[in-house]
Amino acid sequence: MDTAAASEVSAAANEISRTSGPGTGGSGGRPVTVGLGAGGLATSDMVLNIGPQHPATHGVLRLRLVVDAERIVSAEPVVGYMHRGAEKLFEVRDYRQIIVLANRHDWLSAFANELGVVLATEEMLGMEVPERAVWIRTLLSEINRILSHLMFLGSYPLELGAITPVFYSFREREELQSVLEEVSGGRIHYMFNRVGGLKEDVPAGWTVRVAQALRAVRHRMPDLENILMGNEILRGRTLGVGVLPRELAAAYGVSGPIARAGGLDLDLRRDEPYLAYGELFAPGGPGRVVTRQEGDCYARLEVLLEQVQVSLDIAETCVDRLRSLGNGPVNVRLPKVLKVPAGHVYRWTENPLGINGYYLVSRGDKVPWRLKLRSASFNNVQVLSEMLPGCLLADMVSIMGSMFFVVGDVDK
Amino acid sequence: MTGRTGRRRIGIGTGLVQGLIVTAKTMLRPSHTDEYPDVRPSLPSRSRGVIGLVQENCTSCGLCARECPDWCIQIEAHKETLPAVAGGRARQRNVLDSFTIDFSLCMYCGICVEVCPFDALIWSSEFEYAEYDIVDLTHDRGRLSQWAATAPPPPPADPAAVEPKEVGAARKALERAAKKAAAPRTAPAGASPAAKKAAAAEKAAAVKKAVPVEKAVPVERQATEPPEERGTGARGEADS
Repeated sequence: MDTAAASEVSAAANEISRTSGPGTGGSGGRPVTVGLGAGGLATSDMVLNIGPQHPATHGVLRLRLVVDAERIVSAEPVVGYMHRGAEKLFEVRDYRQIIVLANRHDWLSAFANELGVVLATEEMLGMEVPERAVWIRTLLSEINRILSHLMFLGSYPLELGAITPVFYSFREREELQSVLEEVSGGRIHYMFNRVGGLKEDVPAGWTVRVAQALRAVRHRMPDLENILMGNEILRGRTLGVGVLPRELAAAYGVSGPIARAGGLDLDLRRDEPYLAYGELFAPGGPGRVVTRQEGDCYARLEVLLEQVQVSLDIAETCVDRLRSLGNGPVNVRLPKVLKVPAGHVYRWTENPLGINGYYLVSRGDKVPWRLKLRSASFNNVQVLSEMLPGCLLADMVSIMGSMFFVVGDVDK
Repeated sequence: MTGRTGRRRIGIGTGLVQGLIVTAKTMLRPSHTDEYPDVRPSLPSRSRGVIGLVQENCTSCGLCARECPDWCIQIEAHKETLPAVAGGRARQRNVLDSFTIDFSLCMYCGICVEVCPFDALIWSSEFEYAEYDIVDLTHDRGRLSQWAATAPPPPPADPAAVEPKEVGAARKALERAAKKAAAPRTAPAGASPAAKKAAAAEKAAAVKKAVPVEKAVPVERQATEPPEERGTGARGEADS
């Protein structure tokens, strides 16, 4: 609401807009502001649906916005348009078939997802994974992180109107995707994890090609950085826009690069190490947690860029380590029918987009009794209802794009 | 990393120039684009493009159809009684009537290929089979057999990888068969095929016992025996 007009509005009208406007979450009546007297411009709030089919949203996220002219009064993310009932589907599939589905809720971090499932299962079985498998898994999940980050480093500027950066980021993605395809056979849905290790060992010469690909990406990353971060338009649209403070992020369970951009210093790779991260994040290791204090869109983009560098460091260390490891298996032999003993376990991992957790409850069957999925994007999207009010409609695109979510991960 | 690109103020136009420098640099380098329809991409041999069926190996056990997470495989088969050979009894065996995979449902996970105890299913990296009608994405066994012919050989494993159990078992079986065939040169001519058959059955048993961690395909394909013999060996083993 225009401030000049607002001051003219009578107390009664204010009363109406207070009670039915923001904060009620859209469940109340239609927000109406009545302009009285001369001098003020009569405005009334409008409900604007962004999505589920809209070029400015990715996927089918719907935002129900109440706008007062250009200013957003309240925002409500409406999720579930792509709900596939993943958790229910998990319950009727054995532990190998679950990996197929887990691959797909966040299609940009398929490897990290399947990793969570097998880690939970292995923990329930008390299974020891061979060292070689642990290092290959760590390497692949870092490559997966770079892939996911590169996707957003390309698509976010695209949403802001910059078409060029996406070509640079996809060039790097292609480089890494080809090594992942060579080892797993898939470009998106890798299906490479198995309970107890990996599907098969890497092909001969693969470690050399991974090292080459990582070097090539590292060599060319400055291109992407230079074309993005100095750009006046990008800076104008992101600096100081959509600030997500630390406390709000913590209150909503926001995690991952978005939360770290606001100073929430939480990274499960360091704080609750799994795989080989304990060693990698130890003092002197290549791992470090990237944080910013500002919490705006620009900071979120910066965190992503720097995390790519850190992941490249970690991945290179993994490759070196893999080469120095002696011969060894990459999986353990499983019984023909894999039954997980009764009990429950919660395993969370640091996915590219944030904390991804699987709560596995087994009653001793070959299928889980319940497999609850805590996906990063679901929480990260909810905080939009706090971040958007007060912003301009044009900033909505830059804020939403900078929340780095995958709708499949929101709707599960 | 925040040397030039931190959040401090920069001069107007600096970012633009920076971006143009990148563009100019990229312009001078060779392009990254693949000329796809004209030049076919070279795909790695593990690439999961399409599933092929080696009909001779299929015993219509139905494991693939049962393990498929979305049930896109349909198998129909009937039992056939083979007439008793001299001194033996009549044997039954499964004969495949139809085998279809619905690629409009398939999630390309590869579980069917992995669980097949006789390596009747195999990944090919072919990918150009888009159709105008969704019905045509259901491939019958004739089409699936054609795909099997296009399957590339698996890549050699990393030197640090351990030899898969199946490969070791198959190699030992081959060595034993070779020794057997070489030693009794004076024995009647009938002994040699029998030994060969025994080796084939043994190998099939080894493959069957093993949990499909690593496929025995590399050795199987390098093996000197013709595929028909391998098929019958496996089938005989399954029926007895």
